[in-house]
Amino acid sequence: MIKAVVDNLKGLWSLVVGLSVTGRFFLSPQKTVHFPRDVVGPEILESFRGPLELVPADDQGGSKCISCQMCARACPGDCITVVKGDAGKAPKEYKYDFTLCCLCAACVESCPAGAIRFSHRVYMVARSREELRLDLLADLRERCGLEPAPAPAPADKTKAVA
Amino acid sequence: MNSLNFINPFGVSEDPGSYVGDFYTDNFAKGAGEGTLILNLGPQHPSTHGVLRVIVELEGEYVVRAEPVLGYLHRMHEKMAEVKTPWQYIPNMGRVDYLHPIAWNWAQVGACERLAGIEVPERAEYLRVVSCELNRISSHLMWWGAFVMDLGGVTPILYAFEEREKINDILQIVTGSRLTMSYFRFGGVSADVDDRFVRLTKEFVPYLRERLKMYKALVTDNVILRRRLEGVGPMDADLCRRHGATGPILRAAGLKRDTRTDAPYGVYHKFQYNVPTGPSDDCLGRYMLRLAEIEASLDIVEQAMGSLPPGPVRIDKAPKAGWKLPAGETYFAVEGARGQVGVHLVSDGGKNHYRVKLRAPGFSNLSLFAEAARGVLLADAIAILGSLDLVIPEVDR
Repeated sequence: MIKAVVDNLKGLWSLVVGLSVTGRFFLSPQKTVHFPRDVVGPEILESFRGPLELVPADDQGGSKCISCQMCARACPGDCITVVKGDAGKAPKEYKYDFTLCCLCAACVESCPAGAIRFSHRVYMVARSREELRLDLLADLRERCGLEPAPAPAPADKTKAVA
Repeated sequence: MNSLNFINPFGVSEDPGSYVGDFYTDNFAKGAGEGTLILNLGPQHPSTHGVLRVIVELEGEYVVRAEPVLGYLHRMHEKMAEVKTPWQYIPNMGRVDYLHPIAWNWAQVGACERLAGIEVPERAEYLRVVSCELNRISSHLMWWGAFVMDLGGVTPILYAFEEREKINDILQIVTGSRLTMSYFRFGGVSADVDDRFVRLTKEFVPYLRERLKMYKALVTDNVILRRRLEGVGPMDADLCRRHGATGPILRAAGLKRDTRTDAPYGVYHKFQYNVPTGPSDDCLGRYMLRLAEIEASLDIVEQAMGSLPPGPVRIDKAPKAGWKLPAGETYFAVEGARGQVGVHLVSDGGKNHYRVKLRAPGFSNLSLFAEAARGVLLADAIAILGSLDLVIPEVDR
């Protein structure tokens, strides 16, 4: 009888202890990052794997790619198509299907020229599958400022959270 | 031929008028007693952790029979190996078990290395241990939150995710991903760790030790949880042996069986750690055991980071993407968060694997459920299902 009462009191006390833990967290500052009002810091995105991009060889939109097809052959998802140019080693087409990509880095690690890398585009949005079939040469020229960007980015009102 | 047979293409029901389900329920329902109810648990019920379907026969609130129906998440990972080179098969492993992908990564890479006779540099072996143990902790944390959520406590999973995010931040530095990680390559690991990895890992170990005290105050000592789990779903050593259960379930039943110590691989023999067993074979025992395993993993991570040797992380002339396995057959097993993860590999010397068999611990562990759930309350059956720590993609593969 007394044991049952003691057990129940101990049980009640365990509930009080648990509630004090949640109460403490309730009063502590918020840790959730509310996108799009806050974004995570650039430190975390350093190693983030976004869609592939070509490494610029110069600021004229040239790439390091030598059209050797190693990336296309290594890819488990068959998402890379490289077409060799008519003159020299430079590719005339570098198509990349992001819908099939599993971001495994087989292409990046097998590239003998170090011509491709992962971008850190974490906030990429697409409305159709077609938009995810990327032309990396055009993307490279765009990053070099040779082709106008399709739409201006909205004013950056977000603040970074570490 | 009436219209009911149209929705019953298998035509196994003897009395079409009483036909209510599909192939599985029809086979199951044969012999159902008077006054019992056949209930489908899942396949899309939150408590079944994915798409597991369990058909239960209830008498009132008590489970008379329970039968898991598998295959809703079967993605032919074993068949896929026959059309992929070993290098191309690496990312598949992260998709088999998304909570402990690095153990699967290790099993596959280790099997290929054993077949080809590749030795791994010592620094890479240490990094393998660190990443695998960090991943095991994050898997157990995820289980801890999901299990308590199964039992009705929604808050703890949010705390578990805070720690999980920290581990994801650490592992993202070297693997580039937060869920389906693949860090290991043939002959080493993909990248060396940087200062940030070392700093965050060294900070994380004492941090989680402090948090585990909070876990104890919040959940483990809670009287509701204890009364909910004590004595529920006992799985003794005999039951585990008959079904081939491994991992925390077997160790909770009191058997000290751990692939890390029984068939040592990597550099686990260099570390002093405790392989916890017990304290009891019921749901509470399995709960306590997993929390003890987190502490054991923390010990390993601390020792490995403290004695990280310098050197390369990958052998010279490491196999490239077009690498061919030598002909032969091998089996390599590692200890995953759910039990023994095994890869049985057969190669005929060609470009692709000849055949790969994946041994998923969850598959064997799930087969205990039918027996353990017999005669318990339906709510306790959910507790038993949760305590098995199922990852359905791994069960179905």
